[in-house]
Amino acid sequence: MIGVQDLAKEYHVGDHTVHALRGITLSVAGGEFVTIVGPSGSGKSTLMHILGCLDSPTSGQYLLNGRDVSTLPHDELARVRNETIGFVFQGFNLLARTSAVENVELPLLYTRKGVVKASERRDRAMAALEAVGLTDRADHHPNQLSGGQQQRVAIARALVTQPSLLLADEPTGNLDSTTSHEVMEIFADLCKQRGLTIVLITHERDIAAYGTRTVDFKDGLIVADIPNSRRNQSAVLA
Amino acid sequence: MKRLLKHPMVDVAMKALSRNRLQTGLTMLGITVGVATVLAMMAVGAGAQRSIEQQVRAAGLNQITIRAGNWKPKQTESDEPIAHQAEARPSTRDPLASQAGRSLRVGDDVVKIAYHPEDDPMEKHDHPTARQRLGDLEAGLGSAATMTFADAEAIRKMPGVQYVAGGIHENIRVHAGEKRWFTRMHGTDVMMPSIKRAWTFTSGRFFTEREQNKAEQVIVLGQVVVDRLFGAGASPVGSAVLLWNQPFEVVGVVTSATWVVQPAPGDDQFDAVYMPYTTTQRLLNLSKLNDITVTSESSGDVSRLSRDITKLLRQRHGIGDKDPDDFTIITQAAKALTTGGLPPGIARAVAGNVAELEKVTLERLAVTMERASRTMTWLLAAAAAVSLLVGGIGIMNITLLSVTERTKEIGLRMACGARRKDVMRQFLFEAVVISAAGGLIGVVIGVIASFGIARSLRWATVVSPLSVLIAFGTAAAVGVFFGWYPAKRAAQLDPIVALRRE
Repeated sequence: MIGVQDLAKEYHVGDHTVHALRGITLSVAGGEFVTIVGPSGSGKSTLMHILGCLDSPTSGQYLLNGRDVSTLPHDELARVRNETIGFVFQGFNLLARTSAVENVELPLLYTRKGVVKASERRDRAMAALEAVGLTDRADHHPNQLSGGQQQRVAIARALVTQPSLLLADEPTGNLDSTTSHEVMEIFADLCKQRGLTIVLITHERDIAAYGTRTVDFKDGLIVADIPNSRRNQSAVLA
Repeated sequence: MKRLLKHPMVDVAMKALSRNRLQTGLTMLGITVGVATVLAMMAVGAGAQRSIEQQVRAAGLNQITIRAGNWKPKQTESDEPIAHQAEARPSTRDPLASQAGRSLRVGDDVVKIAYHPEDDPMEKHDHPTARQRLGDLEAGLGSAATMTFADAEAIRKMPGVQYVAGGIHENIRVHAGEKRWFTRMHGTDVMMPSIKRAWTFTSGRFFTEREQNKAEQVIVLGQVVVDRLFGAGASPVGSAVLLWNQPFEVVGVVTSATWVVQPAPGDDQFDAVYMPYTTTQRLLNLSKLNDITVTSESSGDVSRLSRDITKLLRQRHGIGDKDPDDFTIITQAAKALTTGGLPPGIARAVAGNVAELEKVTLERLAVTMERASRTMTWLLAAAAAVSLLVGGIGIMNITLLSVTERTKEIGLRMACGARRKDVMRQFLFEAVVISAAGGLIGVVIGVIASFGIARSLRWATVVSPLSVLIAFGTAAAVGVFFGWYPAKRAAQLDPIVALRRE
């Protein structure tokens, strides 16, 4: 699914060069649920942006479904984001004064395979809302929904184009712990039921434990990459 | 256009606008005020221009009459040297070469007799038959059979020509039952009421193009004729009258629209009857016209048009360089001069010897007035356009603000697969929708304001479709122009930076 080889990213801030990623090699198979943990500034968000085709690496190769996407032009990247990738953000990023179902419809406005009819958009958005259990809140505006509900709407929006990869950037960062676990259950379910590949960033260990594999980041490098089954064992051993 | 309206970005733009109603409304207001002002100012300017034009035209200054034949009025006999016709010289051409040439050369001898008996409606005389009348050397002095309907059509196609009406004129007796009245008959064109602006129909209508095409026996009676035949106040529309023992259906009654000209027995307009010239041609078995009446679109154009008509007709009639015209062009301006306050002798001397005198005086005046009023229109419109510009800057301001405000939304849309051009289109559409909707409301308010000005200030206003188009088009263009830059900025945003923005 994802194949990353010697990926590096540098930023220039004034005279300084910031090495956000210093040569990452990572591969994620289809249907895996990978969580990425690390302190702020460790480069995990940068990796996420590159994986999400929002940014391109300074050097190295990124193969998505066997296709080299690190050198694609703007419009093609937009197409990949639309068709292959779904995003879930920490701050939900829902459009204000817009109903839940209209928020979910948003990515369907940008499909390249011909215009999706309004009625079909509505049907597909309702199906996505059903997947996150929010059919009865379809006409509510974001300010009428709880944080957990808003994040579920955002997940539905990420699912509506039926992507094969779901990228989540600290999706529980703005939620209390009970709601966090509810949301994580949804991710785990999506991975198990639909075989969706998920890459999720967090800095909480208990959230990371929902994944099948956890990757530890520090200073732009991977310091650990262990399946969670073994991690739990080592925790037990310790 | 339909596809464009169905574009999903239009939908996105509309939704985005409806989310910020107050902001959208206020921005729209800027454009609305601009468009309404432009429209109202242009209406005021055009109204002033129109009223000047009308005054000039009511004086008949844009009217040109071309009469078949080339002769001069009886009165000029004594002051011979001034006449235009003095140029006429016997031609050296083969006498049979052209009908026109021949009749004229013969006309040379009779030029001083000149006045056709029929030109004076009050003159008592026996009626010659139609055959004798037109094209006949004896009787047709002023009515040389040289002008045809084809000539009228050719003139109609000339640039600067407003209306053209061919005419055949006869003195006839009209019978209605036992009563009869001796009057003028004009076989004319449907265009005539447009040329005679001082006409109004007390009942019925003028004959129609269809009736003209089919040469139907319909007739419009002058008020004087109606009074004599049917009694004052009667409405004869629908009844029949007899001319040349032929029944005609009365379709309308015409009278003067102004108190300046009152219908009187003996006048040429209202002591007269009108029928389609085609009917006259059919019944009298004629194919010629006595005269052609032309109006120019602009009153300042009369001299040029007369010159061009002369050239055209000479060419059409195959008149050689040295031969005189076989027609006479009379402009209202020249006529006004000769029938005005000046002693007839002096007036004729002036008109005859100073070429294009009317151009120097009345026409010049008309041109100057027209130009002045046009300048005023544009001045007003320009002042109003400034307010439209201000409205446009308002659009730019608001669109820029909304791009900044919605940076995060733009980032999200990009993450969801929006291309740069999708984002660009959305914001451009938003700007255009604001300006077009604002413009539309502005047009409505502008039109209402124009009528308001006309009523309360008694200042004539004219809202032309063109000015509506200009005002609305400018508003839409302002939207595109001022929406472009903010939309471009939105499209150039880096999605990561945009998403991080709080």
